[in-house]
Amino acid sequence: MRRVAALVAKDFAELRQSPGIFIPSLLTGLAAIFYPFVIAVIIPAVTGERLSDSSDFDIAKLFYQTEPSAPTLNPEAAIQAFIFQQTLALLVGLTTVTGGMSVAAHSIIGEKQARTLEPLLATPLKTRELLAAKVISAAIPGVLLTTACFVLYVVLIGLIAEPGVWRALLTPRSLGLVFLIGPLASLFGLQLAVCASSRVNDPRSAQQLGALVLIIPVGILQVAQFVGGVVLDTHILLAIGAVLTVCNLLVLRAAISLFDRESILIKWK
Amino acid sequence: MLTASHLTRRFDDRVAVEDLSFALAPGEIFALLGPNGAGKTTTLRMMAGLITPSSGTVHIDGDLMQATSSRLRGRIGFLTEAPGLWDRLTVYDNLLVYARLQGVGADAIQRVLDLFGIGNRAGDQAAQLSKGLKQRVALARTLLHDPSIVLLDEPTAGLDPESAHETRALIVRLKNERRTVVISTHNLDEVERIADRVAVLRSRLIALDTPDALRSRLFGRRVSITVTEPAANYDAIVRATGATDVKTENHTLSVAVDGETPVAPAIVKALVDAGARIVSVIPEERTLEEVYLRLLKEDRR
Repeated sequence: MRRVAALVAKDFAELRQSPGIFIPSLLTGLAAIFYPFVIAVIIPAVTGERLSDSSDFDIAKLFYQTEPSAPTLNPEAAIQAFIFQQTLALLVGLTTVTGGMSVAAHSIIGEKQARTLEPLLATPLKTRELLAAKVISAAIPGVLLTTACFVLYVVLIGLIAEPGVWRALLTPRSLGLVFLIGPLASLFGLQLAVCASSRVNDPRSAQQLGALVLIIPVGILQVAQFVGGVVLDTHILLAIGAVLTVCNLLVLRAAISLFDRESILIKWK
Repeated sequence: MLTASHLTRRFDDRVAVEDLSFALAPGEIFALLGPNGAGKTTTLRMMAGLITPSSGTVHIDGDLMQATSSRLRGRIGFLTEAPGLWDRLTVYDNLLVYARLQGVGADAIQRVLDLFGIGNRAGDQAAQLSKGLKQRVALARTLLHDPSIVLLDEPTAGLDPESAHETRALIVRLKNERRTVVISTHNLDEVERIADRVAVLRSRLIALDTPDALRSRLFGRRVSITVTEPAANYDAIVRATGATDVKTENHTLSVAVDGETPVAPAIVKALVDAGARIVSVIPEERTLEEVYLRLLKEDRR
């Protein structure tokens, strides 16, 4: 644990020196925040047509059946709450993944390219310690960034949306999505990226693989939610959490066995 | 201390190191010489447990070195070919990470900073350091955990003459502290000055011995005698003492004094008795470079 902490502290010290690495993730987070406001607040304000007047949002009626806080909301607020809740998965998915991925994808390759990997491997550092440190170093910034974006999201909803809508974002379902599913999904993608990072010789390959594995399901989930195919209730979130936990354990085992110290030293140039 | 036994490493069809065996003692400086691609770095990496031999073993005090030998790696200090510092971190922070990885305290950092005279640069980012200073920091990192075996891959590469001199002094100091030091280098002058034994590699071992023994084996022992008169005048006198290998050039006679041929004092006496006015008598020292080139040349045949 001491060696993992040492490497994590080192990675954070390096990240502090180059905060620009998080600008793309921050922009992604802000875009993901902005997008539901366009649908729920800006378009109705510009067109003068309320969401509750449109039959397109009948799906939001489902929201009344699944959320305990919903009956206190008027129809317009309930539709806004539905939109804000359903797009939360996109915010969490995109921000967490992009936040950590750029760090993770560079993790092993970055050390190799900076020629700092060989001295590291010559220490008593074990493979699992190196991989754990690299995943933690990448996951923590992603989770922090997501939390910051979530707080901003709720504050903006409180300021701009219908009264009471912000409370619908503080349900166990939403909090579970942000603080359980988000980190677990992030961990999964990051482990894949670190895993790929130790096998490929180009950070972009690792980044693309890790991101692809998460962004495609998040995108599918988003569409399914809006067309009514999936309603992310607490039970579904817990089931996703359980699946992600198992996947994380499997990927962790695979990462340790796939990480080949020799190949990295000898074949990578 | 460290024993390599029949070390062989293949990379696909290419044999990088073949059947290399040696045993190193505490307080010994052992040099690995060879052309580029001769397997020097591969040998060091196998000794450090970074890569696994295709066959053969490395033992440290009887313990088998393997890729999973985390504890054994802690007994080795490995200076890699590149300094491998994290450019954005300060010198101190670079050393701090390794102190934590090696399980030593901050006092060890201060010790190596003092040892290498880089305490005043501890707060500088590694990126700001010159190549020579980076190498010194990397050396400091190598010795941070007080290793009993020190593997140095090109330790003075890129250093200015003063820094290189200091590094050599440090290597000798490590030897005096009874550490085993293995250096891989192309700097033959450096090896000549500090190495106790030399291994010349070209994938397989071409020669392994002390520099003096290699010199003697390849070139024999000769003395160079300078006289005021033309040297050719005394060729017969020298041969009359039993010397068979005599070369003359201007005022100098070069005489082999190996094996059954007479020793230098007898030749000098014969020359003085013949009326020669001797200016100097100097043992001929072949450089290690000559030894090295001869070994490679003979190996090519």
